[in-house]
Amino acid sequence: MENRLAKLALAIGRECAQQEFRWMKHSQRPNLSEMLDRRIAGEPLQYILGTTPFGPLDLLTRPPTLIPRPETEDWTLRLARSRTPSPTRPIRLLDLGTGSGCIPLLLCHLWPPESVRAVGVDISPDAIRLATDNSTRSPIRNTFTPHLGDLHDPGLLHRLDPQPPFDVITANPPYIPLDQYHALPSSVKDYEDPRALIGDTDGLAFYRAIAVLLARKGVLAPRATIALEVGHDQAHAVTCILRHTPGLQLGPVEIWKDPWDKDRVVFARGASCATGGRINIT
Amino acid sequence: MRALAEDEFTTLKDSLSTHLSTTFPALLVPPSQTRAFSALVELKAGVGGSEAMLFLMDLLRVYVRHAHARGWRADVIQGAEVVGGGMRDAIVEVKGEGAYDTLRWETGVHRVQRVPATEASGRVHTSTVAIIVLPLSEEAEPAADDDLFKMEDVRIEVMRSRGAGGQHVNKTESAVRLTHVPTGVTVSMQDERSQHQNKRRAFQVLRARLMDMKMTREMAERRAARQNLVRTADRSEKIRTYNYAQDRVTDHRIGLSLMNLQSFMEGDGMQKFLDAMRRHWEEERMEEAVSEAD
Repeated sequence: MENRLAKLALAIGRECAQQEFRWMKHSQRPNLSEMLDRRIAGEPLQYILGTTPFGPLDLLTRPPTLIPRPETEDWTLRLARSRTPSPTRPIRLLDLGTGSGCIPLLLCHLWPPESVRAVGVDISPDAIRLATDNSTRSPIRNTFTPHLGDLHDPGLLHRLDPQPPFDVITANPPYIPLDQYHALPSSVKDYEDPRALIGDTDGLAFYRAIAVLLARKGVLAPRATIALEVGHDQAHAVTCILRHTPGLQLGPVEIWKDPWDKDRVVFARGASCATGGRINIT
Repeated sequence: MRALAEDEFTTLKDSLSTHLSTTFPALLVPPSQTRAFSALVELKAGVGGSEAMLFLMDLLRVYVRHAHARGWRADVIQGAEVVGGGMRDAIVEVKGEGAYDTLRWETGVHRVQRVPATEASGRVHTSTVAIIVLPLSEEAEPAADDDLFKMEDVRIEVMRSRGAGGQHVNKTESAVRLTHVPTGVTVSMQDERSQHQNKRRAFQVLRARLMDMKMTREMAERRAARQNLVRTADRSEKIRTYNYAQDRVTDHRIGLSLMNLQSFMEGDGMQKFLDAMRRHWEEERMEEAVSEAD
């Protein structure tokens, strides 16, 4: 055991090794030595322990679905505080690239019961299975439906429940440029789904697709809020994409920083009338 | 007839004495403001290296056991065992009504005199553990208590860099540090697996420290106003010595010694000290109340 701890310390640093070892012991899962060996080999701790905290929730984590990040936890909590929906007029939430379902599940947990109906789309059957398992883990009094689908598919929106228009759109789409992907640490590159990470050559492909989807008539409710997580140096590029997509009418755009002071979220509000229309002042 | 009257006079005089010296003063003492408060018990190993750290764990066990015996919940919210055994510091949350009022007498330096388990020559070592007991009110959410602090005065920092962060990194990075800028109080927390959880704990500890500072200040102001010598523990004071060779625990504030140290470490000997301290405190409060009434 001492030997394994020493090896882990070499791999990730002494303080982290001690901390992670404590968490492994605390999890009371059998086979501590095996957990250590897997961690020494580079497997993410969250896959080894099978769960990760996310806000007040405790979510399941399973390879190859993307492990929820603390940056995502931070902005989702902030988004939850930014509005309080009411059960008298429930809102509709669409999460693109839902993965484990962490974003909509946290919002459904924090917002008042029966104030939101959420749907999360993902192209991976593994992700949909995981999101479904997460949605049944603890009672939430808001509906969240994982949906297997491709956000590039023009027919996707017709099949969703709830149907558009959406009051809140969230996404943490794959945003890593291909050349950066190859330089990622092994615990990301060798264990998590590349389809959840790679955003084509410039890392921005999905934002273009999302902007086109948002611009379609009837997708955004009046004054809808849009929150898109971005890579550390992409906030301005993504803001430009949103501003220059034909048919996409947006109000002010904000950039939110994460706890490590990186530009992490492009936050926008839809125009005050439904998209595709014009404001007539008489 | 006269004999009867004399008897009754003595009885009445006695009961009058009791009323004057005990009952009335007790009525003058206002009920404790903090009786509903839970307690945050912070332990720090002092002088003595690894032996102090081992003794810290011994004391930790005593408090957890005592809490359970009293029907309180005890959660160790921070406490990392070092290689070789023992802990450098620990924080225990003791939840339950009366927890703070009872345990606050443990604030101060605890001194142990014993032969360390690792000591080959059988020489007695002296080491210390410093304990601070802070008040915890029942707050479900880490919201600012307007009385105690404003959220905008609290700086929240993460403790390690994450490079590009986000999707690029899946290492668990949950350590946070809070700084209450006006007072300079800082709280670091890293034992939970998420930022959110560590932040909640950190706010809890911050609130407890600020509340403790407020109460200490108010007590000092009251004492200064009264200009008398009544004293309660200042936290660098040595309040108790645990002498293993003589099998004895002594509380220096009230001069109380308990034989059979094991009954303290493993049984409920602690209750005797807590009861004695409470009685001492109540007498002080009564004196205070009576002198204020002048």
